[in-house]
This record gives sequence, C-alpha cells and structure tokens, in this order.
Amino acid sequence: MLKRSIHRVQAVGFGDAMTWSGGELTVDREEARRLLAAPCLASVDVTWASPGDSVRIVKVLDVVEPRSKGPGGGGVFPGWLDGPPVDGPTHVLRGAAVVVAGYLPRAQEAVIDMTGPAAELSPFGSTHNLVIEFTPAPDADWAEVDDVLRRGALALAARLAEAALDAEPDETETVPDPGAVDGLPRIGTITNLQTQGVFKDVFVRGESFNGQEPALIDPAEIDDGAVVSGQYGHPSLRNPTWVHQNHPIASALRARHGRDVAFAGVVLAPEPVSASEKARISAAAAQLCADAGFEAVILTKEGGGNADADIALKMDALEDLGIATVGLFAEMAGPDGTGPPIVVAPERATAMVSTGNYDTRLSLPEMERALGGNELALLKVPATSAMELPTAVILASLGCLGGGRLTCAPAPVA
Amino acid sequence: MARIVHYLNQFFIGAGGEDAAASPPASQPGPVGPGRRLAQLLGDEHEIVATVSCGDDDAAGRPAAVGEIVALIQEAQPDLVVTGPAFTSGRYGLACARVAAAAKAAGLNAVAAMHPDNPGLDEAGGAPVVASGEAARLMGPALDTLAAAVKKLLAGEVLTNADGLVGLAPRRPRMADRTAAERAVDLVLARLAGDRDATEVPLPRFDKVTPAPPITDLSNSTLAILTEGALVPDDNPGALESARATKWLRYSLAGRDELVPGEWRSVHGGFSTVWANADPHRILPLDAARQLEREGAIGHLHEEYLVTAGNGTSVANARRFGVEWAADLRHSGARAAILTAT
Repeated sequence: MLKRSIHRVQAVGFGDAMTWSGGELTVDREEARRLLAAPCLASVDVTWASPGDSVRIVKVLDVVEPRSKGPGGGGVFPGWLDGPPVDGPTHVLRGAAVVVAGYLPRAQEAVIDMTGPAAELSPFGSTHNLVIEFTPAPDADWAEVDDVLRRGALALAARLAEAALDAEPDETETVPDPGAVDGLPRIGTITNLQTQGVFKDVFVRGESFNGQEPALIDPAEIDDGAVVSGQYGHPSLRNPTWVHQNHPIASALRARHGRDVAFAGVVLAPEPVSASEKARISAAAAQLCADAGFEAVILTKEGGGNADADIALKMDALEDLGIATVGLFAEMAGPDGTGPPIVVAPERATAMVSTGNYDTRLSLPEMERALGGNELALLKVPATSAMELPTAVILASLGCLGGGRLTCAPAPVA
Repeated sequence: MARIVHYLNQFFIGAGGEDAAASPPASQPGPVGPGRRLAQLLGDEHEIVATVSCGDDDAAGRPAAVGEIVALIQEAQPDLVVTGPAFTSGRYGLACARVAAAAKAAGLNAVAAMHPDNPGLDEAGGAPVVASGEAARLMGPALDTLAAAVKKLLAGEVLTNADGLVGLAPRRPRMADRTAAERAVDLVLARLAGDRDATEVPLPRFDKVTPAPPITDLSNSTLAILTEGALVPDDNPGALESARATKWLRYSLAGRDELVPGEWRSVHGGFSTVWANADPHRILPLDAARQLEREGAIGHLHEEYLVTAGNGTSVANARRFGVEWAADLRHSGARAAILTAT
C-alpha cells in the first residue's frame, strides 16, 4: 500500500542550498545548473514563475512534480535515475513543478499563463513552476537535447523533493492498492498513451512505449514516475509527466474504493499509427480487461482526432465483451461550438464525458515577462503580447486524464 | 405585402444538370420552378419578387460567387431571402447556407432549407435552417415546411424545432463543480445500473458517403492528386497552418516531373516530417503519377494539386474542404482523384 508524505509548497525562492523549511522551497541555482548541464547544451538556467505572476511560459515541453523516496532519486522515475531502491513513503512537494520550456523542432507551441483566463484552465497556472530554459550547443543533435533535458528535469524534480525527506509532512496519504471488494463493481481504467516516435513518445520505466502491447501496471508505480512524457503534440490534449504522477482517474477510483466501487486496476495501452494496429491493440486491451475481471472501464486518450479512434475502438471492443464503458473526450466543435464535437465516436458504446472544446477562443492579457522563448511561434508575435488563442494551445487545459473541471453543455435555447 | 427573393441552383431553374454547373450568378423576376409552388403556398400576402440562381460548382467553388449572388438579391430589395431546399446535395447545400449567412450578415432576414445531414448546415452562420427530406422527390413536404417557416418569420416569430428548425444547440464551455474523472465514475456507475442514455456528449451523426461510380476508362480521364499531408513549397507562401487548418491551398504541377527535396516541405504538426521532407513523393506521389501518364494508364494528370493539413482539423472545416475540393475538381475537368492521408 502506497504512502505519500505531502509537503505543501507555500513560497519559493533561490538561495545557497536546496532547502525545505516552513513551507518554503529554496533552490540552489548553481546546483540546479550543474544537475542539468550536458555537452549538447551551450547553456541552461532555471527561473521561478509563481501563481499570479505576470508571466507567460511558451514552448513548454514537459512538467514534472518533485517527488522523492530517498537520496539520489532512488525509487522514483525508474529507468531514468539510478539511486538505490527505497521502500518508504513517497515525499511530494505539492504545489511545485519543474517545467521544461524552449524550442525543439516539431514540438507544437504550448502555453502556460500564470495569471488571466488561461491560468485557470491549466493545472500549471496554479503551481510554483521552476522553469528550465536552455540553449543547445552548435550542431547538437535534437534527439539528444530532448533526452538530456528529460533526464535533467527528472533529476532536478527528485533533488528538490529530497530536501523534504526528513521534514514532518503537512499530511500523510495512504493509497489503497487495486483489488476486489465484496459486492462492489470492479472498475478499472485504460490509459492510452500517444506513442508515435521521437518527440511524440511516452516512456514506461525508462523505455519507449512505442510498439508495446497493452499491459497492466501497478498504479503505485505510476505515482512514483513509471510513466514519463516525451509527448510534444497537441498541447491541450497531451498528458505531461506531472499529470501521470497525479493520475486523476486512479485518484477518483481510489477515493471511492470500498465505498461504492472497487478499484480494479490500470491498463496502459499505446496509440499506434495505422488503423489496423489501432484495431488490433484495442481488441487486445479489451481482452486484457476481461481477463483481469474488470466489470466496467473508464477510458482516456492522448492526442487530437486521431486519438478519438483509439478510445472509440476500445470502448466498442469492451462493450462487445459485455464490459460497460465511459470515455473521456475533448470536443472539437469549432470556435462557436456548432460543429460536430467528436472526430471518431464509438458505435456501440454511448457514455462520454466532455473535457471542454479545443476550439474555444481565449483573450489573453499582455504579460510583463515571457519564459521559454521571446516569440509565440503560432502568431509570430512577442510572447508577452496580449493575444487571442484557442484553448488547444494551453498546456493540459482539456485534461485528457480527467483532472480538470472544464466541460461543455448545450447553450440554452433562446 | 412582404417581398421575397428565392435562391436556386442551375438544376431547379431548369438550366441543366452538371453540364450547367459552372454557370454564373443570374437573376430573373418572379418565382421559378419550385418557387411557383412555394408562392402558391404563401398565398397573396407575400410575393416572390425575384429568383436568383447560380451553378453549383461556381457557387461552391469560386470565392467571389456568394458576394455576387447577394448583390443580385439586394437589387430586388427583399424583406426575406429564402434558399433551397437543397436536400442532401453538398455543393448546393453549401451555397444555400453561405448565401443565407451572407444575406444575414448584410442585414437581411434569411432562411435556408436542406436535409439535416447536408454539410452546408455548419455554414449557415446563424441564419435559421429548416429540414427537408433527402432528395427532390420529397419536394412537396419540404416546401410545406419551408412555407410555414417563411410565414412565421415574416410575422416576426422565432422558429423552433417544431417548425422543422435543424441544427444542434451550440456547445458552450463551462466549469463543472467536479473534475471529469469524478464525473466519469458517476457515469460508469449509472451505466452499470442500466442507464444507456446518460452521456455528456451527444453521439454525433456522420455522413455516409456513397462512392462515385468507378471510372470505366481511366486512360481518357484526368486524375488529380490531393493530400492532407501539408506538403507545400519550402517557404510555405500560403501560410498553411500546421494544426487546426482553416483553409486549403493549391499549387501548380505544370512542367514538373518530380518534387525535388529541399524545395518542398511538409508543415504538418501531427507526425515527424523527416522522411516526408527527405522525399516529398512519400506525401504527394507525383513521380508515380507522371509515370502512369507516360504509360497512358491515365489520360492526364491534373496540373495542380490541392493541399491542407489534417491535424486537429474540425469536422466542420474538413467537410467544407471536401465539398469545395469536389466543386473545384469538377470545374477543372478532373474526374478521378487520389487523396493521400498521413
């Protein structure tokens, strides 16, 4: 049974050492730079952006929650950090995040605003963000830059939480393991990961999930960072590492485990590229859920209209096996909400949750500072300008894994 | 007495079928074709003072056409503009919807009639659309519905679904009290309890496209190559979007036998474009198409290709691109097309 020691981050700053005291996280900037340094980076630095700051972070790549079980990152982010295994509570710096931001080719422009309407839509508008900015070395290989940044961000996140290892937590959470409960329906979840090659990949225990088969995973492993994102596609529809660490469906099922549901487990499934592979993987994932005794399944996706097919095919495959399903979909209903909302809908399953409309326009205010770049690539305007953007560009705003409250409903008839 | 201008396509004014689909906007006094029956149904209180018409390919495929149609309508100083019924006809439906939308934007009252599955429905821009059946054999009931709606609109009333008004209520964003994950658990419990109707997203209707009949002699036909793979000249002169495309573009293939790497680039944001850029034929198979042309397997290769980016593109925009491409290709004489997708 997983135990989490929660440390609530109230204030952040820089200082001479990495310290955690009285709700304040202090970062040694020199040590952070050393942790992140690599031959393929000409320079790298960290800056704080806190809720309410007049800051826009552009070109966001990944976001990681600081967590640690022991010195050197042992027990967290398996496959990435090589600290010794630790059997103890996971220390969580709740309210803090490590954010990587900067240009990588083919990464879609992704925005976090620390104030204004977009701040309410992204989970990272209300976290204290330690933003990693970088300049690649001349002729650096982009895939290597990506790899080095990911390792660096994970190491830095573990190092920050290490500062709280000996501190008294604000609260302790005991998280139930999945399992049967007499008389309660066994509900599991399928987490689709959009795994389509370099810059659109997701890693499980340090390995690319591209080409893998659907697999059951202990959700406690996901809490400890077994799923790491290298997914730089649709900003609003991707799941950064932070979102996996806080897996909202697992949380919602755990919260009711033993009360009105039995949390049955988590299946990870890839989203392959071809239609035939999508169908094959969907059938395999559905059979795995049946074999594991799931009576009902909540399904989530990652990505745009293409990923609607992965969730719709799996919903139909499960319903064909007599397993009830609910799918979380983001709508693509056009700026005025009058277009067809779903690109590929299930044919036999019918229950869908809406996580908002990709195309809804937002008017964003001018900001004092920008991090991650000077220009907003989409509009070719200074990143600090007032601008109008679709919700699609705001990182994790359409909460594919169900963490947000954004939804859509029909407008009242006039 | 209220003045009505009726918009029809080339077929319903009796000018011809596909052979007349390129005919330009025109106006004539009084009701024509189905307009005569509509005028009867409206009785003496209202008068169809003019009928404005246009060929389907021209109306749906030439950007300036809708403006010219509305200018002709305005000359007749109508109190209300009526377009259609367009049934399930794609180009005609698009024209009826766009003319109604443009008339409304110009300050005129307008109503369109078409089948609820017509792709034009998404383009009516706030003008009301009333239902018709699927095809012209259902003209009678379609005109009954339309005439009743016209009378109601001219009386200053608002149409409802009971009047045949179609179209979903717009979907509006809002903040729920609880997260999507928590609502999903509620929904799955309702589903397990036997509720098969509970959902936050209505199941969409999708078009069932009837394929065109096969081409009997390809060696006499013009073949077009099209792509949603966002392959454009290297400097992307038309500024095609990498995601959420709102437009499509055309580029000439005249005099070209191949696409030289470095001169072309895929700006698609949905996949790694390294291999596409290394050999642009992987997206747009010009080399193979020219080979088929030389061998005589196809009559001619259409001398331009049409391109958009299929990445996060709304269904509404994708439907519009499809109808516009069909109109454009018909206009140009192409009778077959290969559309590559990524």
